[in-house]
Amino acid sequence: MASRVDVAVIGAGPAGLAAAIAAREQGAEKVLIVERAEQLGGLLPQCIHNGFGLVYFEQDMTGPEYEKAFVDKAMRLGIETQLETMVIDLDEERGMTAVSRKHGYMNFKPEAVVLAMGCRERSRGAVGIPGTRPAGVLTAGTCQRYVNIEGYMPGSRYVVLGSGDIGMIMARRLTLEGAKVEAVVEIMPWPGGLIRNEVQCLHDFGIPLLLEHTVSFVHGEERVEGVSVCKVDSERRPIAGTESFFPCDCLLISAGLIPENELSRKAGVALDPVTGGPVVDQDRQTSVAGIFAGGNVVQVHDLVDWVSREAETAGRSAAVFADKGKIKPAKGVAVVPGRNIRYVVPQFISGRDDVTLHMRVAAPGLNATVKVGGVLKKRLRSVRPSEMIVLDLKGAALKQAGPEKELIVDCDMKGSD
Amino acid sequence: MAARETVICIGCPLGCRVTVLQDKKGNVTSLKGAECKQGEKYVLKELQNPVRTLTATVPTTDERFPLLPVRTSRPVLKVLMKPIMRETVKVRVKPPVKCGDIIVKNVFKSKADLIATTDWPGPGGEG
Repeated sequence: MASRVDVAVIGAGPAGLAAAIAAREQGAEKVLIVERAEQLGGLLPQCIHNGFGLVYFEQDMTGPEYEKAFVDKAMRLGIETQLETMVIDLDEERGMTAVSRKHGYMNFKPEAVVLAMGCRERSRGAVGIPGTRPAGVLTAGTCQRYVNIEGYMPGSRYVVLGSGDIGMIMARRLTLEGAKVEAVVEIMPWPGGLIRNEVQCLHDFGIPLLLEHTVSFVHGEERVEGVSVCKVDSERRPIAGTESFFPCDCLLISAGLIPENELSRKAGVALDPVTGGPVVDQDRQTSVAGIFAGGNVVQVHDLVDWVSREAETAGRSAAVFADKGKIKPAKGVAVVPGRNIRYVVPQFISGRDDVTLHMRVAAPGLNATVKVGGVLKKRLRSVRPSEMIVLDLKGAALKQAGPEKELIVDCDMKGSD
Repeated sequence: MAARETVICIGCPLGCRVTVLQDKKGNVTSLKGAECKQGEKYVLKELQNPVRTLTATVPTTDERFPLLPVRTSRPVLKVLMKPIMRETVKVRVKPPVKCGDIIVKNVFKSKADLIATTDWPGPGGEG
């Protein structure tokens, strides 16, 4: 690839598409998306349920419809895509190595890079469930692909471990396709996904949600024959004697998502140990100049709408970098998680401009007050780890608060949920 | 017999558990637990006329693209979800298909159509 690439985007999911479009609209001439799958859209084509676009388009859309809006726009803008191409290396000078069956081994050096690799699911191995290793243990997302794209039902009787959104959505989907979902088992005292999914996916179909329970054993030789489910104590350790047996032929794992950052590490990008994604400033520039990041590779979002928005910031910044050869890191002020705040993204802001902060609380509660240093105070009736908090800070308020090196974000509560 | 039901509001992360009492004619006599007016409105609607947008897939005749994703063109009564699912398996769609195409008109007399939610082939050819 000899010709100049202004912005290369790694990944063609919702983040990659939004970043590429924003880069192009910001004036980058050649924008290239490199994607390892055979089609654009990432996971959106298999997310056939609705609930997408409520923030971004103010419209209730399905995954494929949301995808189409972005793919059509990307095509209109002449964004180039290279499918079935895997980026295998990225260095701190933005040197990229990719391989594909069609073009073989390729080296190129784009003027700017956007990391949009998204995340992947925590597997059985990562969760560590004792028992045998029969067929029929799979992640909720893999099951979603089988059922919604390929047309296979991997089983007829299911237990779902973890109450993440994909797990609950698959519980509904499988029930509608005629399967029996015995239970959704959640180790935490609160559900891992959105309330609307708990109501519309579980309550609507009478699927039990067992909080403070976990799967303690997988039974079966060739095929899953059932799982043992037990209560856990406050330290999330199984309580002996509380086990009960659930017959099933499939165990779905929906136990969280992990940002996919092998390439980021290769490029020397600093990662946040809590989010698992790159440390970014408000322009979504990482610790390596010219490498930007947006979407689930930075932090696992609960709404795709915020993925798109965040990736747009990364794409716009990458276009500016490609044009000017630099973009001053907006690192004036560090945003630091304080009481009951697990993380805040971006980790650095300029301290002068309007900026949107994304954060999650550690524990749920009622009548919460979120304080961002002395700059902003926001009351929230209820906070939950599963629902990301989005706060807009005004540049004027930041300037007025004076030059601070650090903004600590605290969440204090008057009651627990 | 008066009826008592609990409905969880999905309007915001608060997830209010709202208890509703109805007399035997179905008139609401008491509604407790909602933190806001919008929540009360949602709960009444959910109680009297619970509707959902149903999303599913229908089989196609193209083995490279065996399933077409579809949704109802408007929310349908909750009780119609399963009967509509039984209709989806009777369909065989012959591509090409455009997003928004009607696949089944007035499916199961729900007054909603089943419509395609994607293009096949897609904008960049297949996919």
